[in-house]
Order: sequence, then C-alpha cells, then structure tokens
Amino acid sequence: MKKGFYLRLALDGMRKNRRLYLPYLLTCGGMVMMFYILYSLAYSPAVQTMRGGSTMTVVLLLGTIVVAVFALLFLLYTNSFLAKRRNREFGLYNVLGMNKRNLSRILAWETVVSALVSILGGLIGGLLLSKLAELCLIRMAGERTGYAITVAPRSIAATFLFFGAIFALLLLVSLARVGISKPLDLLKSEAAGEKPPRANWVLALVGLLLLGAAYYLAVTIESPLTALFIFFAAVLMVIVATYLLFIAGSVTLCKLLQRNKRYYYKSAHFVSVSSMAFRMKRNGAGLASICILATMVLVMLSSTGCLYFGGEDAIRGMAPYDVTVALRYAAPEACSGEALRELADLVHDLSGGREKNLMTVTDVNFGGYFENGSLDLDGYSRILEISSSPSVLEHLRSVYFLPLEDFDLETDRQPEPGEALVWSSGAAYPYDTLAVEGCTPIRVVGTVRELPFRLTTEETLVTAYCVFLPDWAERAGEVQNYCASLEDEMALPETVQVCFFDLPGLSEEEQLRVTENLRQALRDRMEEEDRAWTGFTTNDRADLHSSFFSMNGSLFFLGIILSIVFIAAAALIIYYKQLSEGYEDQRRFGIMQKVGMTGREIKSAVDSQVLTVFFAPLLMSGLHLAFAFPFVQKLIRLFGVSNTHLLILTSVLCFLAFGLFYVFVYRRTARAYIAIVSEGDERR
Amino acid sequence: MSILEVRDLKKVYTSRFGTQQVEALRRVNFTVEKGEYVAVMGESGSGKTTLLNLLAALDKPTGGTVLLDGVDLSTLPEKDVASFRRGQLGFVFQEFNLLDTFTLEDNIYLPLVLAGRNHKEMAERLEPLARWLGIDGLLKKYPYEVSGGQKQRAAVARALITDPKLLLADEPTGALDSRSTDELLSLFAQVNRSGQTIVMVTHSVKAASHATRVLFIRDGEVFHQLYRGKDTNEQLYQKISDTLTVLATGGEAR
Repeated sequence: MKKGFYLRLALDGMRKNRRLYLPYLLTCGGMVMMFYILYSLAYSPAVQTMRGGSTMTVVLLLGTIVVAVFALLFLLYTNSFLAKRRNREFGLYNVLGMNKRNLSRILAWETVVSALVSILGGLIGGLLLSKLAELCLIRMAGERTGYAITVAPRSIAATFLFFGAIFALLLLVSLARVGISKPLDLLKSEAAGEKPPRANWVLALVGLLLLGAAYYLAVTIESPLTALFIFFAAVLMVIVATYLLFIAGSVTLCKLLQRNKRYYYKSAHFVSVSSMAFRMKRNGAGLASICILATMVLVMLSSTGCLYFGGEDAIRGMAPYDVTVALRYAAPEACSGEALRELADLVHDLSGGREKNLMTVTDVNFGGYFENGSLDLDGYSRILEISSSPSVLEHLRSVYFLPLEDFDLETDRQPEPGEALVWSSGAAYPYDTLAVEGCTPIRVVGTVRELPFRLTTEETLVTAYCVFLPDWAERAGEVQNYCASLEDEMALPETVQVCFFDLPGLSEEEQLRVTENLRQALRDRMEEEDRAWTGFTTNDRADLHSSFFSMNGSLFFLGIILSIVFIAAAALIIYYKQLSEGYEDQRRFGIMQKVGMTGREIKSAVDSQVLTVFFAPLLMSGLHLAFAFPFVQKLIRLFGVSNTHLLILTSVLCFLAFGLFYVFVYRRTARAYIAIVSEGDERR
Repeated sequence: MSILEVRDLKKVYTSRFGTQQVEALRRVNFTVEKGEYVAVMGESGSGKTTLLNLLAALDKPTGGTVLLDGVDLSTLPEKDVASFRRGQLGFVFQEFNLLDTFTLEDNIYLPLVLAGRNHKEMAERLEPLARWLGIDGLLKKYPYEVSGGQKQRAAVARALITDPKLLLADEPTGALDSRSTDELLSLFAQVNRSGQTIVMVTHSVKAASHATRVLFIRDGEVFHQLYRGKDTNEQLYQKISDTLTVLATGGEAR
C-alpha cells in the first residue's frame, strides 16, 4: 500500500471531525501548558531563591500533581467520547475490507498526530506564558523579579515524558476497544436503541440522604483541624450524592412528574418532561462532573482569594505589633524589672529611637482543662495529644497570670490579695472563683473589658483568660511549683517578659534589619553569665508578612491556575454535550414539526430543556458552596483570616464571575448546537 | 363534494447558489372526494414526496393552490399552519416517526396534548382506537421495544386520534415485512370504509392496489389515473402493473 496512506486517512478523519477534534486538541494543549507552567515554576530559580520559596515549591508541586491526575482522568473521558463518535467511520472502513490491524494503524497515527500537536503547542504556549505566570506569582508573593525569559529543559523533558505516557495509554485503550468490537457493532453503535430511563427510587433517595447528611456534617463541624477527616468524608459524600442525584434523582423526578397526568399532559410540559428524562439519563454523569468541577473552582477561588486579600488583616492578628521580643525565664521569681529596662534600652538604641508604642508585660501562662470554675493542669499535655473531639476542645483554656500593679486598669473595686480581675477572649468569665489545680482558689471580683495590650490570634485559638493578680509572685510561684512536681516537661508553665513596639515609617527591609540586629545582640547577651533569662523569641511582622504572602500568594495563584484547568474541562464537557444533544435533537425536531408543532413551540421546548440541563449544575454548585461556607470560614481562620464579610464577598464574586463565564460558554456552544440542528433542516 | 383540490401545483427547487433549478412538480391537477382512498404512484424522483409535503403544508408551492376543505393552505399565516396541520391532517410515515422519548401511548396523545385537550377526553378517545388497532396491550411500551408493524399501528393511531379530514401516508408499508404490510393495508381499507379520506404516496403496486383510485405521476405531472370501479384488489393490481410497464417503456398519455 502507498506510503503515508494511513497517515492521510488519519488526518482526513480528524479534519472531517474537526468539530470534535479541535476542542479536544485545544484542551490537551491547555493541560500540557498548565502542567509545564506549574512544573517549571516549582523549579524556577527565581522562585527558589526568594524568601519563602521552598513553601512555594511545595505548593506548586502539589498543584502539578493535581493537574497531572486530572489530565489523565479527563483525557481518558474525552477520548472515549471521541471514540464513540468515530466508531461508525471505523465500522465503515471495516466493512470496506480493512482489518483490525489496518484500523489500529490509523488509530496509532491519529494518536501520534494529536500527541505531537498538543504537546508541542502546549509547550510553546507554556514557554511563552510561564514568564508571565512567574511575574504574577512573584508579584502576588510581594516580591520583584527580572524579566529574562528562561527555558527549562528539565521541565520540557518531564512534560514530554508525562504526556507521552498519557497518549500511549489512550492509544492502548482505543486499540483494546477496536480489538473487542465487531464490525457491524461499530457501524450500528450510534443507532442502537436506547433503553428508556427507569426511575431508580432507591438511588435517588440514597443520594438525597447522603447530600443531607453531608451538608449536616459540613455545617456542624466545630474545629476544622480535628475534624478534617470528617470534612473529607463530607466532600466524598457530596460527590457521590451529586452523581446519584443527577443520574438517578433527576430521572425519578421526571417520572414523578409524568405520573401526575394533569401536569404532564399539558403542551408546555409534555415534550419537555419526557425528553428531559432521556437527556438526564444520558447526561447525568457529565452534568454531575460539571457540578463538581464548578464547586471545586468556587471553593478554591473564594477561599484562596479570601486568604490572599485578607492577608493584611490576618498578619495584624498574628503579629499585633511590628516587633515582639519575649525573654523566657525558668521560674517567675527570676523575673526582674531590670532585664526589661535593659531590653527597652537595647531596642531604643538599635532602632535609632524610632520605636513607638513600646510596652512591656510580665506573665506566667499555662493551659488546662476547665470545668465549673476549676482548671485541671494534670495531664494537659496528654489531653492535647488526644484532643480530637470538639467537646474536649471546648474545655481547653490558656491562662495568663499578670501582675496587677503593672497595669492601670479601670475597675469598681481594686482586688485584695487572693482576689483577681479577669479578662476573657471568649464569653465573659462565668464563675466567682478560679481554682487552678495546686494553687489557692482565686476570687474573681471583676472583669476587664479591654486588654491593655493585644494578644495574637494564635494565643486566642482556644479561649484565653488573662488574670490580673495583686499577689502575682505568690500565685505564679504556686503554679510553677505544682507543675514542677508533675515531672512533665510539657506541663511546665511559661514565664516570659515581653516587649512590644512598632516601627512606624520604616520600610520592611529596615524593620527586618532592626530585628536582626536585636536578635544578634540578644544572642551575644546569651553568651554572658549574669543574665536572669534563659532564652528569647522574636516575632516580627515584616518577616511574617513575606512568609505569609509567599504561602497565601502561591495558594491563590495555584487556585487561579487550577480553576482555569477545571473551567476549561467543564467548558469542553459542555461543548461535547451540546454536540451530542444537537445530533439527537436533529431527528426529533423533524418529527415534532410533522405532527403539528410550530417551529417556535419546538424551539421554546428545547430551549427550556437545554437551559435546565446546563444551569442545574451551576445552581447545585452554588448550593454546595453555601453549605461548605461554614467550614471554609473556619479553615481560613486557621490561617489567621477571620474576615467573614470578605469571605462572603469573594464567594459571591467568584460565583458571579463563574456564572458569567458559564453563560458565555453556553452561548458559544449553543451556536454549534443550532448549526447541527439546522443542518438537519436543510437535509429535509 | 371534494375535500382536496389541487390546481396547477408547481414546485421548483433552487440549488444553494441559485445556479441550477430543478422542477419537481410542473403542473399537477387533481381532486379528492370525501371518503376516497387515493394512491399516488411514481418512480422515485417523480415528485411524489414533494407533492405530499405540499399537501401537508410542510413546504410552500412555487405556483398553484392546494385547497383543503375549501381553505387555501398557502394563504394560512405561518402560526396557524401548525395547528391546522395537527387539527385537520393525520400523517403516517415510512419510518413511523415515533418519538423515542415517549411511550406509544404518549406518542399517540401528542397531537391532542398540543391541541390542549384534557387527559380524560384523550383517554376516552384512545381506548376504542387502541383496541381496534390491536395495540391496547402495548401502550406503556417504548417504540424500540415493539415490532415495526406495531410501531406503524401506533403511528396510525396517532394520525387518527384527532379525527382528521384527510389521512396522508408516505410509503406506509416501506419499512414493514410482508405480513405487517398485509395487516396495515387491510387496516387502511377498513379505515377508509368507515368514511376516512386517505391519500397515500407509494411505489408499491400491492399497496396501491388497495386504493379506490390510483394517480400516476411522471416528470412532475399527473400522467394517468385508474379507478377501481368494480375490480377486486387482484384485478386492480394487474392494471397498475400494466400501467407501470407502459410508463417505464415510455408510452405517451392517452
């Protein structure tokens, strides 16, 4: 046979079916591009050398894996869709005398051509766009970089290998499909009679129950950390329920409507309801996939967007002051005003006198299990290890013992020794006494409404009590002694002297330099013998800022990239749906016209069905998003962002933007549908 | 009184770029009386289906008129055509044209539902019809679950349930085996005896031999017609065959 014959047949076939192949190749290329961009960014020198770059690399690599897995699954799905459409052509070749070997050669050429076009196209796109992506990513992380374009041979090789393997797998699957098929089946595969949809009450009910249960779980989760696996269970349940509802539930609903004869036998419902049942039976899985992709996009974008845009607030919560320096002591009695004064002087010198709002606090803090006004210290560390249930977490408290004399508090009655004023980060302190294990019970004589300094969000993750004591040294000593007797390293209270200050008017670099100098000076001081403290920690906002934004910026960036991938996939599914719908409706259109429906009646019936079919997933994903909201809210609070309004705003904006995009895709693809249906018109 | 009157009917198809014109019907004249059973015969390409499409107002004639019960179809506004079609005409097609998303019952109800009838009335109409057509046990099945003959009987039920003035059939036996063909043809004869006017387009001599009159179309014109008179089906069959032979060997109209 002539050389290149099979290649020509393959190319011809693809050209004739360009309505199917063009979007397929575009999607493949898009996947290749995204894979390359993420992979090359993960190993980009610009990313690796920046502050927080290693976090970013991890996040980007995770993203690469997600894209890779998704690409594999999605290309398998689209490939099987294409194969179904092409079976007729292959059947014809088969009848005309080609054997399966010949068909396999055509298939092989097709795969090679698709692979080359999409991988090369995707790589070119990736090379062009990766610099842009890098600039975006680094800007999002709050840094700057040069504009030189880099080519990463390693990433190119990885992309080639990975997608080459995927296409090889696709080829194997198609070959197996041709191998087990019979020629007449191939020829007839499209015309095969379709079983009428049957209502599956059980599955529909199971879907409904699962969805309800999953929503209940998602809404009632108390602590996102300990209940993370519950949330994953809920996510899985929602996915299963979505598939069940779209596949079985929708058909059951249609059947239910058909039973109501008064409703069903109306010209407005008659055609719509019955063909809807068929449409849903065929499209249920695809629509459920769209719904889940849409939900993923929405949750991902709204949460990472909220993290990113809520970053400044979060950092203010995590680092209420520009710089915080804490000196640690072995025991409360070692604390002295002298060390604090020395520290303040040091700060003053190193910042060139530009420090503001400087404040010092001495405190002893510890955690315990709180019930009915008494705090159990014993076994606290054990509780921390096993504290999985929200009911335990509810009882955990962190307690700060502070000397009353250091503060100028407004109160009706100054406490006497044995008494105290209490501030609570949660609900007001509800009891008259506070009995800390191993310590004389303290009578609570008043509450402090406003704390004179700010705690970090981390410190208030569990409810915190600040206890202002006139006889601080004694009480703190009691706690210290009792805890020491427990012989549990973890149970020892922490005695610190903290110095907070702001550095207004200094750039981030200058602030970093001040804290670095401060750390160096303290390290030097550690070498000397005559100091009372045993160690120190610093917390500076500038450092937090850069690490926070390298983390949240790259998460948001990844959110955007993955959203693009998922949205492109959803768009392709929609497009293919429109095509197959079009081919099926073509014939039905003709019949309905002949039995006396006007063109307009047909069009409005079809429009309403198609609209329902396409917008049901969008509405469902909106519902999912709404029920995921409480969890997302709690989850991002862990990252220090607790701005509910911002989260609502980003969620709504994401939903609107996605909806807009969805309408756009729908309208574009509806054109393909109309083209097919009117082709049928001409043929008649 | 004539229920259908076709005068100087002409249909010209223009190819997409307007370069070529094909004359499907040149000058067709005939009338159908109430209660007649007319078969229209001709080779493929003689314009049979074009004629049927014009009678059904699925297509617009280039010239001439079609009067159905005194109404000129071409003067009907577009929006009334569909309701006219479902009220006054019944269709039976070669390919059955049942919607595969409906059960047989719902397929039969379709024209009535479109006309806005209530369900009780529809059920009352269907019941005797389905029994008579022998499909009363199949109503809940979907088209793909039943045989070709059963599908065609459902299609007949759909055509008759509106009590149409005219039943139009386009090769109704074309997709049926010989037994189903016989059954369907005797069914049509029965329908006709009950007073239903039928116009059937076919190129099957056997199908045509059941009619009361046979029209022959060649090159877009009515070329000849045969009346049954007192002939039996077999005699008419012979006459039709002879006429077709003459047509095929190129005889001129007498």
